[in-house]
Order: sequence, then C-alpha cells, then structure tokens
Amino acid sequence: MATVFLHGLTKKFGEAAAVDRLDLEIGDGEFVSLLGPSGCGKTTTLRLLAGFLQPDGGEIRVNDKVVSSASVLIPPERRNMSMIFQSYAVWPHMTVFQNVAYGLKLKKLAGAEIAKKVDRMLHLVRLDTLAGRYPGELSGGQQQRVALARALVVEPQILLLDEPLSNLDANLREEMRFEIRRLHEEFRITTVYVTHDQAEAMVTSDRIAVMHQGRIVQLGAPEEIFDRPRTRFVAEFIGKTNILRGKLEDGRTVALGDGLKLRVTSAGALARGDEVFVCIRPHNVTLTASAAEAEAARRNGLNLFSGTITRRVYFGDANDYIVEIPEQRLNLRVVAPPAQRYEAGQKIFALALPEQCVLVGEE
Amino acid sequence: MSIPGTRVAERVAESRGFSLKRFDPSLTVWIGAALFVVFLMLLPLGSIFIASLYNETGFSLGNYLEVFTEEAYLKAIWNSVIISFWVGIIAVAVGSLLGWLVTRTDLPFKRAVRALVMASFVTPPFLGAFAWMLLAGPNAGLLNNWYRAVSGLDSAVFNIFTIEGLIFVMALYSFPYVFSMIANVCELISSDLEDAANILGANRWKIALTITLPLTAPALIGGFIVAFLHSLSLFGAPAILGLPAGIHTITTQIWALFQYPPRLDLAAAFSVPLLLATIGLIAVQKKLLGRRGYSTVGGKGGQKRLLKLGYLRIPALLLVLAILSLSVFLPYAILLKAALSKAWAMPLTRENFTLGNFSFTFFEYSDTRAAIVNTFKLGIITATVGTLLATLLAYITNRQLLRGARYLSFFVLAPLVIPGIVLAVGLFIAYSRPPIMLYGTIWILFVAFLTKEMPIGFSQTESTFKTIHPELEDATRIIGANRLRALKDVTVPLARSGLIAAWSFIFIGVIRELSASILLFTPSSKVVSVVIFDLKEEGQIGAIAVLGILLLGVSFLIILSVQWLAGRDFFAGGRG
Amino acid sequence: MKRSVAVAFSVVLSLCATLASAQDAAMIEAARKEGKVVWYTSLAIPSSTALAHYFMNKYKGIEVIVNRNGSQRVLQMVMQEAGASIKNVDVIHTSDAGHFVLLKSKGLLAQYTPKAAEVFPAGFKDPAGYFFGMRATLSVIAYNPRIINDKDAPKTWKDVLDPKWRGKEVTAHPGYSGIIMTHVLAVVKQLGWEYFQELAKNKLHIVQSANDPAQVVASGERPLGVNGAEYFYYKTMKQGNPIKIVYPKEGVPLVVSPTAIAKDAPHPNAARLFTEFILSKENQQILADKEGLYTGHPEVTYPKDKPMLKDLKLWAVDADELEKRNAELKKRFTEYFGA
Repeated sequence: MATVFLHGLTKKFGEAAAVDRLDLEIGDGEFVSLLGPSGCGKTTTLRLLAGFLQPDGGEIRVNDKVVSSASVLIPPERRNMSMIFQSYAVWPHMTVFQNVAYGLKLKKLAGAEIAKKVDRMLHLVRLDTLAGRYPGELSGGQQQRVALARALVVEPQILLLDEPLSNLDANLREEMRFEIRRLHEEFRITTVYVTHDQAEAMVTSDRIAVMHQGRIVQLGAPEEIFDRPRTRFVAEFIGKTNILRGKLEDGRTVALGDGLKLRVTSAGALARGDEVFVCIRPHNVTLTASAAEAEAARRNGLNLFSGTITRRVYFGDANDYIVEIPEQRLNLRVVAPPAQRYEAGQKIFALALPEQCVLVGEE
Repeated sequence: MSIPGTRVAERVAESRGFSLKRFDPSLTVWIGAALFVVFLMLLPLGSIFIASLYNETGFSLGNYLEVFTEEAYLKAIWNSVIISFWVGIIAVAVGSLLGWLVTRTDLPFKRAVRALVMASFVTPPFLGAFAWMLLAGPNAGLLNNWYRAVSGLDSAVFNIFTIEGLIFVMALYSFPYVFSMIANVCELISSDLEDAANILGANRWKIALTITLPLTAPALIGGFIVAFLHSLSLFGAPAILGLPAGIHTITTQIWALFQYPPRLDLAAAFSVPLLLATIGLIAVQKKLLGRRGYSTVGGKGGQKRLLKLGYLRIPALLLVLAILSLSVFLPYAILLKAALSKAWAMPLTRENFTLGNFSFTFFEYSDTRAAIVNTFKLGIITATVGTLLATLLAYITNRQLLRGARYLSFFVLAPLVIPGIVLAVGLFIAYSRPPIMLYGTIWILFVAFLTKEMPIGFSQTESTFKTIHPELEDATRIIGANRLRALKDVTVPLARSGLIAAWSFIFIGVIRELSASILLFTPSSKVVSVVIFDLKEEGQIGAIAVLGILLLGVSFLIILSVQWLAGRDFFAGGRG
Repeated sequence: MKRSVAVAFSVVLSLCATLASAQDAAMIEAARKEGKVVWYTSLAIPSSTALAHYFMNKYKGIEVIVNRNGSQRVLQMVMQEAGASIKNVDVIHTSDAGHFVLLKSKGLLAQYTPKAAEVFPAGFKDPAGYFFGMRATLSVIAYNPRIINDKDAPKTWKDVLDPKWRGKEVTAHPGYSGIIMTHVLAVVKQLGWEYFQELAKNKLHIVQSANDPAQVVASGERPLGVNGAEYFYYKTMKQGNPIKIVYPKEGVPLVVSPTAIAKDAPHPNAARLFTEFILSKENQQILADKEGLYTGHPEVTYPKDKPMLKDLKLWAVDADELEKRNAELKKRFTEYFGA
C-alpha cells in the first residue's frame, strides 16, 4: 500500500535536463502510465523512481518518506518495489521457478513457503507447467509472464513497468495489455507504467500522464486525454487528428480565414485574437454528398466544410479519406464507416460537432 | 549568531542521517579495488622515475646524460628501434594476409589454420628463439646442415645470430597479434559495403584494394604498433640470439645493468624513454582508431560472402602452412628432437636416443621441481586473483559505479605499454626495501604478473560485461539484492565463459613470462622460464627442450579445457 | 715399556678419534635438525647436481638445494639478497676468487676452518679462515676434431688469433663466468689487451658460461673454443662428443674456485657439514674421477688421460687484483666483443 509523490523532480545528463521539474502524485493502488515519445524522459523518471538514478533536484516521496532527492538515495534493493523491463531481464541461467523464487530467497523465506508462493504465482500467470524450463526455451510472451510473476511474487509496494510489451508481436501485445490490467485488478498494487503506445496506456491505466521534454503536459483519465487534449502535442501524440490553425474570436468561435468560422469547445484561458489550434479527430467528422443534408446540419449548429475527396484508403473496418478544402489550403482527414463509399474527385461535405472541435494550446 | 549555528547543526544531523541511510557496503569493495590498482601502477612507475633522477651524488640528470651519450647504450636503443620496426612491418604483412585469408576467402582448413596461429601465439618467444638457434645456427643448425647436404656447398643459408635473424624470429611470434586484430575487423565488414562497390563496377580484386583494405587500415596501423611494442618489450629472444653476436637491445641492456655491480639508476633512466616512446605510440594508435574506428565498419547484421580464390586456393594454403611451419612445426619438431637426443645436432639414431634429459630435468636437477611448483602456483594464484580483480574493475568502469571510472580504465590498461622489464625495474626498486619487502619471495613475481596481465584480464571481462544487459542486474536489485549480490548471482554466472577465458589468458601469460621474472627472481623463487634461461646460459640444450615441451603442453591443455568448459573458440574470445 | 707407551699412544689416538667422531656426530645431528643446506654455486649443473646427490646419499635427511649460476650471477644474487636482508644462502661457491675478497670485506662470510682443509696447500686456503679452494679449473683451448684436423688445430693462445678462424670461434663471457674472468686477467697480464682486441676481429660467437663452449664446439656450431672450463670440455669429450683439448705450452690460466659459508647462513651446521664434505678426500677424489676436476687435495689421483698440473705451466692470478679489476675487465671485454 503506497502513495507516491514526485515534486520538482529534475535529472540532468550533462547540460540537458531529461526530467525537468516534474510533479506527479499517485494514489494508493492507482495505475498511472507515463506516455510519451522516446526521449521525453519517461524511462528516466521510472529509473529515478526505482532508485537506479539519483535526481539532481526535487524529491520523490513514498508514503511521505523521502526516498530520493539530491542528497538522499535509498538504493533500489531497499525500496520494496518491483520492476519489469523492456528486455524482460529474465535470468537466462535460472529456470522459471528459480527466477520467480529469487526475490523470495533474498527475503530469506523458508523453502516450503517459497515453493508455495511461487507455485501460486505461476498458476496465476498460467506458467504452472513450465516451472522447470529455462528462459531460452520459452516464447517472448512466456518470458514476459515470468517477469511479471517474478515482480509480483515479492508483493511489492510499488510496481514499475518499463515498456514491457514493446518487444512482443502485435497479437501478443494486445493480449498482455489485458493480462496486466487483470493482474492489477487482482493485486491493486500502486503501478507506474512507461510506454510510448497510447493504446497500451488506455487499456491499462487509471490515469495517463503525457510527457514531453521532461515534463508532464497533461494528466488525466484516458477519455479525458483523448477527448480533451490540452495541447497540440497531446492531441497529435494521442491518436490521429486534424489540426486547424486560426484566430480566436470569442470563447466559442475561431476564424479560420476566408470567412470560415468554426464553433469550438472550451476556450480555456485563451484571449480574443490569440493564434489558436483546433483539434478534430478524423472519426468525429461525418461525410455527406448531399448539399441539403449538409445545410440542414449546419443550421443545427454543426461546423461545415466543403471540399473534394482526393484519396481513399480502404482498411476493411473503415475508409480513410483525405478531403481537400481549397479555400483553407487544408487537407482534412476523415475516417468513415466502410459502408460510406466515395470516390476520389467527388465533391463532398464534411461535418463536425462543435463539442468535438477542441481548442488546444501550442504547447 | 545562533541561528546559522543551529542551521549547521541541523544540516550535519540531516546529512549524517542521510549518509547512514545511503551507505552501501559494496561501495567499499569498489573503492578498494580501484585504489589497489592505482597503487599497483603508481608505485613502480613512480619509483622508476625517482630512481632515474638520483645517482650516487644525489639529485642529477647525469643518468639520462649517460644513457644518451654512451655509444654502447645508443647502439642498443638503435638496434631495438630497427628490429621492432621491421618486426612490425613483417608482422603486419603476414598477420593481415593470414587474417584476411581466414575470414574473407574460401581458404580450406580454416579452423586448423586458426588453431596453428593460436599455437604460435601461445609459444613463448624465448622458446621460439631457442628452437631457431638449433634450427638455423650457421654451422650446426639443422636447416643449414640440410642445405649443405643438398647443395654440396660449404656455406650456410641462414645465420640466426644476426639482426635479420632476430627480426625473423620476433616477427614469427608477433604476427598473431596483428592476425587477431585484422581477422576481427574483416569479420565485421559486411559484404554490403563491398557489394555497393561491386554494383558500381569494381571487380573483386579492385574491391579488396579500394574498399576492404582502407576499411582495415586503422587496424593495420594499430597492428603495426602492437607488434612494434611487443617486440620492443621482448627480452628472451634478443638475449638468446642477439647477445652471442654482440647485439644488445634496450631490454638486454637494462638486464645487463642489473648485473653486479648493479646500476639501478641507469636502468631506471634507460626505462623512462622506453616508457615514453610506448605511451606516445599508443596515443597515436588511439587517435587513429578513434577517428576511423571499427564503428564505421560496423553493421553486424550484414552478411559476409567469401572471396573465391579459385586456382589460388591450394597455393594460398601452402603459403599459409609454410609460414606456420616456421613458427610451429619446425620449432616444435627440433624441441622434441633435442629433448630425446644425447647430442642434439646428431641424427636421432638408436645410440643417440635418450630419456635421460627427462629424468635429469625432473628428478635430478633440483631447480626444476621448485620452479615448476612456483610457476604453477603463481599461474593459478595470479589468474584467480587477476580475474577477480579484473571482474571488479571491469564492472566499475562498465557500470560507471564511481566518479572518474573512465580514468580507472586508463590505469588498468597502462601496463599494456609498460615493457615487462621496465615494470620489473620499478617493482624491484619499490619492493626490495622496507616498508614493503616482497623481493626474495614469489610475491614480488605475483605483483609483477598481476600488474602485467591486468589489461588482458580486464579487456576480456569488460567485453564480456558489455554483452550482458544491465537490466538483468537491475532486475536483481529492484527485488532486494545489493550490487555485490547482483554481481555474484547474475552477472558473474552469465559472464562465466568470458571469465574462464580471462583466467586462462592470464595463466598462460604467467607461465611463459620471462622479461619481468628475470630481474625479480631469487634462487628461492625461480620460475620455469628463468630456469630455462639459466640452462640456456650453460648450454643445457636437452633440459631446456624438456621444460619447453612441458610449458607448451600445459598451455595447450589449458586451452583445450577452456574450449571444452566454456564451449567457445579461444581465439575468438579476444574480441568484444 | 715401549709396548705400554705404544698402547697408551694408541689409546690416546683412538680416544682422539672417538672424540673427533663424537664431534662429527654432533655436527651431523645438528645438520639433520636443520634439514637442508642451500648452495649457490657456479659449478656446472651436472657436476653440482651430482655432488649434491653424493652428499644426500651419505647424509640422508639433509637436502641440498642447488642454485647453479654463473659466478658473476651468484655474486649478484648474494649481494642483492644481502641488500634486501634476505637470508637464504648457506654455502657460496664461485670461480672468481675476487668475489671472496669482496664478500669477506663486506662482512658477509662466516669464519670456519674445515678440518678437511688442513692438508690443502697454501694457495687453497684463506689465512684468515674464511674461504677455501674447493676445486681448480683450467681455462683451455678446445676444438672439434671432425671439423678441424689435428695438424691445423691451434697449439698456442696466439694461434687462435689467425684470421682463418674468423667466424669459427666461440668464447665465454667474463660478465657471467668467473673462470673466464680469471682467464681474461691472466691472459691480459701475459699478453696484454692487444690480444683480445685482435681476437675480437675474428667475430666470435659469444656465450655466457665457461661450460657452454663445450656444447657449441661439440655440435660444430663453432668448432674452436678459445677458452672454457677444461673439466667440462673433458667431461663432454668423455661422453663421446668430438672434442680435443689443447693445453697451451705458454701457460694455462689456473682458476682456484673457493667455497665459503655465509655469515647469516640459515642452516649453519648443515653448511659446515657440507663444507667438510666437499673438501673431504672422498669427495675430492669423486670430483677428480667423475667430473674431471683438479683439486687442491694432495692425495687425490687423476685419470690417466689428463695431464698432471705439475707438468703444466700455470698462470695464477691474485684474488685481490681480481677483485679490484672486476669492473674494468668486464667493461673492456664488452667493448671489444660488443656484448
């Protein structure tokens, strides 16, 4: 049972700050993802949490006790944490059983008790039959389960995961996402999960912290992050998006130039006349070829664009269109259901609800 | 006034609390190992430097003046430079040819060729020199006798007791160094690089010349420098082949300065320029390799295709075998003959056959048994302690455990540029007087060997550690093991084969060592190489051959067991 | 009366003998307790090894540790160990009498007059009782009769200077061998440095030990040895090797090789016992018979095919002079011969 509190956390490599005055509070039993592109500082943050690195500034507190600061560093082995690594880091010279039992042995548990706990854990990750195997004889997914079992069996206060699924193939990755969430629901261990894959973060996490250049740019529940991105970076990093540039007229209207005005949602702290961006998700745009239908929708308050289909890509479960809107010198990306078929060159109208046109800041 | 005071007190209390919490018991091990190796290096080198600046009148540059004005000394320096230069050239020519043939062409029997190159590598140069003395002495040498018998002439073709003879023999036992460097680089060059040129219209020989050769150029220059330095530091070969013809080199001259009445100050002054020269050359090599290092060659994924030698395949093999017969077959054969005959120069007939050399060497001559015991004792202890220390040091530098870990590797690798005899001068000065009295025991030899073999053990273990993912250790630590425990439970078991290889490299290095032992032994701490040298001075050919065979036999036994134990190609173990 | 006197005399005699042997027994007992004796010697490896075994056979339980090296190396070892306060050596034996003058002056020798030495002539005894001549060695010319026929072979020291021997000669080195050091001084005193200057022109093969030329000549690597230990040439010849020895008429350098006990000998009793043994008639006779050596012991007989010392003109040198000129001799020889 643990809460984690990161305050002003800073780590520099040479002159560059990999983690820059980062603040984050994680509740007991919460599952938080650090999501961001490579180089954003998420792995560094995780290694700071684990105690492999010492911060240059700020502090980390676990249950209100300082474990890391510029002058304090509790070594990893005394933090009562577990970690799962990108490379799995399953020890190749030990069997599955020995791998999982190692941490318990360090705790000097009796042999019978170790065996009992390991067996239970192997059962839980569905590796019971492979206890005597060496990691070299296991598939990637099985190795990952060994790593999970090894991390969980020691009953850590905090579980850290560093891109644990990035070396798995696509199907397995999807399966393991749910596995990780399932195990979290089983144990309710405070968990920090580092990934660059938004889908992983979405499936597993209670909250997601999107990181950029060493800082958290947005923190919130998955839906919140996706539907209400606060910055252009978050909008573009999480899912596909269209970004439109314009000037803020008042709290609800953005002028895109050429007289086209967009009704948008949540102006936030932006002032009239500011240069702003509007984020529209491709699947939130509807297409219609009927001018009447489009006009009716516009009158109902929807934003309307008229343009030409320039490209169609068929994905099986969807059609992916590029709609060229000449006045705006804009290519709008639209994802439509597979049944809606339009051909390249066709005149088309694109509609978007104002509440799905989200104003975002530059950073 | 009181406020700042309280603050300080608070801070102290705070920091003490922290430091207690922070204290990592394994830290003492890292710091201890680091300090030990720095001490190991600095004491002898410092001693040499200081001793070189004092003569009987006190502080003086007179020693240097004497070294650089006395004609005999200058001649020795010049001989060393000339010999080493040509050894470097020949070693590069032979080593790169063999290295290229073995890695990039379809030469037959590659494994055997590699094994034979390794045999040359393992053969102590002084033993090779001794064998070549029997093979190519101008009058009694076996080859010259054959030549006379065949040609009917009364002249000799080979005279091994010349500068040329010395260059020849030293090159035979230096080229394996170049071979391994070139072979490693050639193995890294992917065929893609060559194919790129091929598409542009270059034929295979042109490719070899314009792509492969330039890519290996840094290794060629590096190989030259390594061979140059190796031959510069050799003592046994020039002593056996040079001295009978009145040819002194730097190493034999330093040794002569140790004779009674000893001139340690001059020996020290003689050592300093040798040391500076080698450091300079290493710096040049670093610079060359640093700019166009192996990394540009890189690309491990690229596959390699072998050049078809075509009708040159058999002639190439014959050439390779001819070279290796000079370094392996002929010397080993003559050693065996000398060991089994009463008179080595006579044909091995029934009357001339004897096992007396063996019984004399092992059962009558009292030096032998003690020396064998000392040698293997030192070999085992040095290899074990050396591997342990190298492991700790490689771990410190590889995982950056201490601030300035990079400089630590400089200290560890420094003995690479210190000729054994120079190291011995330093150790003799440092450890033959209080407070540290090691001279007269085998422990001074232990310190010498440990220092001398540290670079090979270190680079071996370091390159092994590089292949072990740090996350494997992190995984150990995060669930409750401290660094030492992680090292013991995970890193070391995973590095097992690399560590065994390091152990064997050190062991073989120790049992063949002569140039440092020759200054540091006392009658109660003789080693086999020194006994061989003593026997040589009295012309006990048979006994030398017996001991030489013993040394070679043990070396090969070790290598074979390593290959069996660690399941790896010993020669390939040198690369990262 | 006469008879009783004789009886009394014999009683006294036997009493003396008993006393003496009681003394011997005590010495042997003490030596056995020490268990071993460490001998730094310049006597050829086969000879010193053989001698050690004679001793060990006679006095079971006392091991002889033989450390054989060239005379100059033996001295170097003794001095280096003394400098580092290492106490290892018990008995020191080299072929450079000058060494013993030096060692004695440095206080590194123990005073002990072996009973066995009483019969030795004056030239073999240090009047102060520190060192005694264990053997006498001649430095001679030798050639390989399969390559050089007897007619052409040199007869005198000057004959080896002939340019026809260019590239065919071998010399040992005074920087290593005490015999050659003595040889050089003896020859320089008789023939001057010009002799060596002239000799060096023949491009000699240079070996270290005075024993090594025997093997070089026998193998034919260099068929003519311009110096070298006569006993080792003789021994090698006796093993069936093609060697003939020339004892030049002008004179033959005589090398008396002393033995002494180290001041700080860790096994002093064994050292004394060993010294008594090597100077005993029994051992001296073995050295003459088996090793081809000459000795100072007046009762020793020699093989028939060796000349008697009294029939040769011997060039002896003074130990003090040898000690004083040690560095000079080495340096000039090295200058002429290059190494």
